[in-house]
Amino acid sequence: MAKLTINGKFIEVKDGTLILEAAKQAGIEIPTFCYQADLSRIGACRICLVEIAGQRKLMTSCTTPVMEGMEVNSESAAVQESRKGVIEFFLSNHSLDCPVCDKAGECELQDMVYKHGPRKGSFKEKKIRFHEKDYPLSPVIIKNSNRCVKCTRCIRVCRDTVGVGVLGSMGRGAHQEETSFLRTYLDCDHCGNCIEVCPVGCFMRRPYRYKSRPWDLKSADTICPYCATGCTSKIQERDGEVVRSISKMGKGVNNELLCARGRFGFDFISNEDRLTTPLMRKDGELVPVSWDEALESLAVNLGAFAPERIGGIASARLTNEDLFLFQDLMRSAFKTNNIDSSARWNRDSVSAFIKATGINEGGVSLRGALEGVDAIFIVGTQISEENPVTDYLLRRSFDSRWVFTMIASARAMKLDSCAQLTMRHDPATENALLTAIAKVIFDDAGEKAAGLDCAELFKDLSLKDLSDESGVDQSDIGAAARKLFGSESATFFAGTEFLRFPDGLRGFSLLKELLTALGKKITVVPVLDRCNQRGAWDMGVHPAFGPGYEPVENPGLGNAGMLEAADARQLDALYIAGVDILNNYPDFETAEKALSKLQYLVVNELFLTGTAAMADLVLPVASFAEKAGTMTNQEGRVQSMSPLMKPPGEARTAHDIFSALLKAHDFEFNVAKPKGTFEKIQANVKSYADVELLNERSDKSLTGESGNTVSSSILEKEADEEDQTPAYTAEDLPLTLITGNHLFYSGMLSSRSATLGSLLKEAIVEINDTDAKKYDLKSGDHVTVTGRYHEGRYAVRVKNGSRKGVAFIPENFKTGPVNRFFRKGEWSQKVRLKKVDA
Amino acid sequence: MKPILLKNQFNPEAYKVESYVAGGGYESLKKAFTMKPDDIIQLVKDSGLRGRGGAGFPTGLKWSFIPKDPTMQKYLACNADEGEPGTFKDRGIINNDPHLLIEGMTIASFAFGASVSYIYIRGEFVFGARRLEAAIAEAYEKGFLGENIMGSGFSHDMYVHCGAGAYICGEETALIDSLEGRRGTPRIKPPFPAIEGLNSKPTVINNVETLSTVPSIIKNGAKWFAGIGPEKCPGPKIYGVSGHVQKPGLYELPMGTPIREIIFNHAGGIKGGTFKAAIPGGITAPMLVEKDLDTRMDFDSLAAKQSMLGSGGVIVMNNSTCMVKVALITNRFFSHESCGKCTPCREGTTWITQILKRMEDGEGRPGDTAEIERLCGMIFGRTFCPLGDGATMAIRGNLAHFRDEFIYHEEHGRCKV
Repeated sequence: MAKLTINGKFIEVKDGTLILEAAKQAGIEIPTFCYQADLSRIGACRICLVEIAGQRKLMTSCTTPVMEGMEVNSESAAVQESRKGVIEFFLSNHSLDCPVCDKAGECELQDMVYKHGPRKGSFKEKKIRFHEKDYPLSPVIIKNSNRCVKCTRCIRVCRDTVGVGVLGSMGRGAHQEETSFLRTYLDCDHCGNCIEVCPVGCFMRRPYRYKSRPWDLKSADTICPYCATGCTSKIQERDGEVVRSISKMGKGVNNELLCARGRFGFDFISNEDRLTTPLMRKDGELVPVSWDEALESLAVNLGAFAPERIGGIASARLTNEDLFLFQDLMRSAFKTNNIDSSARWNRDSVSAFIKATGINEGGVSLRGALEGVDAIFIVGTQISEENPVTDYLLRRSFDSRWVFTMIASARAMKLDSCAQLTMRHDPATENALLTAIAKVIFDDAGEKAAGLDCAELFKDLSLKDLSDESGVDQSDIGAAARKLFGSESATFFAGTEFLRFPDGLRGFSLLKELLTALGKKITVVPVLDRCNQRGAWDMGVHPAFGPGYEPVENPGLGNAGMLEAADARQLDALYIAGVDILNNYPDFETAEKALSKLQYLVVNELFLTGTAAMADLVLPVASFAEKAGTMTNQEGRVQSMSPLMKPPGEARTAHDIFSALLKAHDFEFNVAKPKGTFEKIQANVKSYADVELLNERSDKSLTGESGNTVSSSILEKEADEEDQTPAYTAEDLPLTLITGNHLFYSGMLSSRSATLGSLLKEAIVEINDTDAKKYDLKSGDHVTVTGRYHEGRYAVRVKNGSRKGVAFIPENFKTGPVNRFFRKGEWSQKVRLKKVDA
Repeated sequence: MKPILLKNQFNPEAYKVESYVAGGGYESLKKAFTMKPDDIIQLVKDSGLRGRGGAGFPTGLKWSFIPKDPTMQKYLACNADEGEPGTFKDRGIINNDPHLLIEGMTIASFAFGASVSYIYIRGEFVFGARRLEAAIAEAYEKGFLGENIMGSGFSHDMYVHCGAGAYICGEETALIDSLEGRRGTPRIKPPFPAIEGLNSKPTVINNVETLSTVPSIIKNGAKWFAGIGPEKCPGPKIYGVSGHVQKPGLYELPMGTPIREIIFNHAGGIKGGTFKAAIPGGITAPMLVEKDLDTRMDFDSLAAKQSMLGSGGVIVMNNSTCMVKVALITNRFFSHESCGKCTPCREGTTWITQILKRMEDGEGRPGDTAEIERLCGMIFGRTFCPLGDGATMAIRGNLAHFRDEFIYHEEHGRCKV
């Protein structure tokens, strides 16, 4: 600790604290421009200069750490005069076009001039002009360099945090311009963090420009509806249209960061295709009906079937409250355990994933998982594309503390550049790779591991076979193993590839158990791609367990089981809340056949999706911007969101609909607001009992232990029982097709966002550079992708450094949905590419 | 005084290694290898050699800041980014006697244990860069560079790195940025380069002239060196004289030679008129007038006159010179070369240039001079690196003596001279 005085005020702060931060702790504000917590410090703008007793010159408080006995003055005459001078300099070449500037009203320069500035400036020369009109840098970013104050926050966030580094300074001195190389269009994450950190109106949101003034906006705090990183943001509307989503500096897990989806992907809310009235099928046509008619028909029709012939699938994008009521409705009103929270993940995969990653054992904070850890192992996730902000947060953490990082995946990703070891394995071979690593550790551990339960298992394993199967060099496997063995603690990031290819979880569990048995501290952070996937599981939207992972007596059918049963006419009615099964289930044909055989299909939806179009009853629902509730992110952090506006037309919240149905079934049912339902959750689900809804980076908002174990048939399988994925090898289908999320596309919502659509205009297939050379393809070429069941036309994207022989098509393209290539829930297929003329 | 640094200036063959060796070259390196590295540092400390780049920091002391850990990678960077108007002393050494620099650098590297050194040369010095590259290749061939030099067990690699045309890259941390392949802007100190420099490793940055002085110290000893010139900053110094003199050029003289002697005895006196003013050490240094002509040209004597020795580039002006124009040219250089990182330098120098341009164009307004003075006050002492301070020092030095010429421009819209 160091003791010092600032403006005569005595304070004691930690050693190494910056004067600026120390002043903040003492309640003294020092103005800053180029400084921003979590960005690299440059001390360039000179507005934060302070006087330190004994120093000849004024010093930058944003770069100078405190020293014992220091006497700082941040308001002396010299400091104030210097501050005024710097502000006058800022304004000398600033365009001062505040009346037409988007930033006016929330501009840091305006605030600073108002607070500290000279009342009069004497600049009478010609201002430097970079251009006449704003120029676009991307479909979502537009720029006005005449307003720039050269703080370079944009450059630093782009380079150090986002990791793309496409911004830089052109020119020198007063002619310096922070922009893209020669002002060309950007090829980047389009995350818009440059806009967020810009203190003036230099970087602007293109879709928002000239739409509103900040003081005309109505805002609500919300949670991003895309991936499960759980970013908090503020969405803002004007005249009933959501025009902007902004992050909240210093708040939430994400601080000032958002990704393209979180910052620009909200416009599906105002999409004209939103459903506004309940639709009922009459004479083969969906026609508008009243809510009374719709709900009555639903209760009567669903109630008519035997419990085992009913099923329900709810989206992992609904709130905890919605999901809790949904499973209550299915279980208590319709008496069925045929209930699932996704059209993608297999029931048993989910159980195995929960068990292997310890989701039922309570939340882990990302920050805590990185603190003091010796090694990081990222496996089974495309973290840079699926959870962009998690990628940013990891990169940012490396900035202050370097940790040995290993990445195993089939595709290259942006985070590779932060990793010391990258392993490119064949798709679906996580099991072989992780088992191989475990094997090396076991052999290295010698006697220490000899007595362990798993010792038998390793006896017959051959490292060479495992290495061959996964396609990863033995030297890399050895390096990973030795790093893990040599570490005291390690954090694993395990993602959705394990849900697609659950075999990998066996290797994962084995490695985790072995390391734990050897005394290592292992933390697992699940990496999920739907905002409330973890909440859906916590709420018991699963055939085998209820809220809080309480095992149910008669486990029901999962999504695959339900579709199979429907196909066999053993299931007659489905209630689907917000899932487009036709586009998501990894077997389009089966899904379509099964749904068409149903006698009664009810769908809650925002849009008339393919699935909704087949329904007998379609209920229009509220989007995330129109409802209150809580969501649980991948860490197990429970966060609340509040509604910004009313749903369009007659649309209702899912919470209202489920409540009404529960009320219709049970007159005693107490219809509550979402807040009341959350209290009910806290009373009924042990892991939620002590959760505080803070929307802060506090561990108090993490879920606790559920106290229940989840059983999994996949993990308990013996190695020799392994049901090999039917490896279909054919000479003419040389590539293995896999799927996942794209940076700009993840699920139904993103496909309805015009802004995200402008970032990726067509369906793409991604291959690596070697294959591109082999097939004479380059980015932008068009190909037909031919599999055993489907053929589609895609644009080629070449990604350097991915595993060769792998083709990747993102999920959820409206044109060219990838699930048509798959069969029977298997997430990979063999395909070939053929170039076609544009 | 017999020239030491410039002894090969008029020997057109001196750039070749054979000729250099024939003149006793690389003997100092050989001698250095018989000494302990720490003794070399002590010798340089004892000699009193101060950096010739402008700041005058004791060279031996700078070397001694480098951590002694032998396993640690260390670097030497030679600052050959000679870009200040009026300065052309390093170019003379680089073009005509490149091996002298290479020898000096190798000795320095041996002294503090740098296995790699870089010559960061100004991008415009294409001839010099080629010459250095050729000389380095020769030195490798002759075994003065590379593995196990002269059987000493010391290995050293040397590279030439061309700058891309920024004056700021002569600032040592900006030079490191540029060497690392970034846009050159000064870095926050601390950490100082001696602790965290190039590639975050300990790095010494020395001027060409400083390093070229080292071989003679090794050869003749510290006492010999300390005996030349004033006690506190001894040694030979190259003065580059330009402007209104009869014989502009490089003159190697003992440190502390009076400026009058340099201009009138060595450079042949004023050309076309009478003496008006002289800038003693590159355009940053505040100018001297008639009454200051007996000032000795060393760090301390000039500092006492509120000026500085800087690089020792003397610019002489006769009585036909318009001082507003001098101010404009000087300041335009600084605003052009301001890196843009910090606000006062970036905006302030540009603003002052705009005012001076107007005054020079006959569009001066009452109060312009006072405005310039006010702006200098807003820049000085508040910038990130010394570039902004330098700009204000130059103009303040000018105003201190010739304020009336500025006022004349304000009032009459033309020159007084």
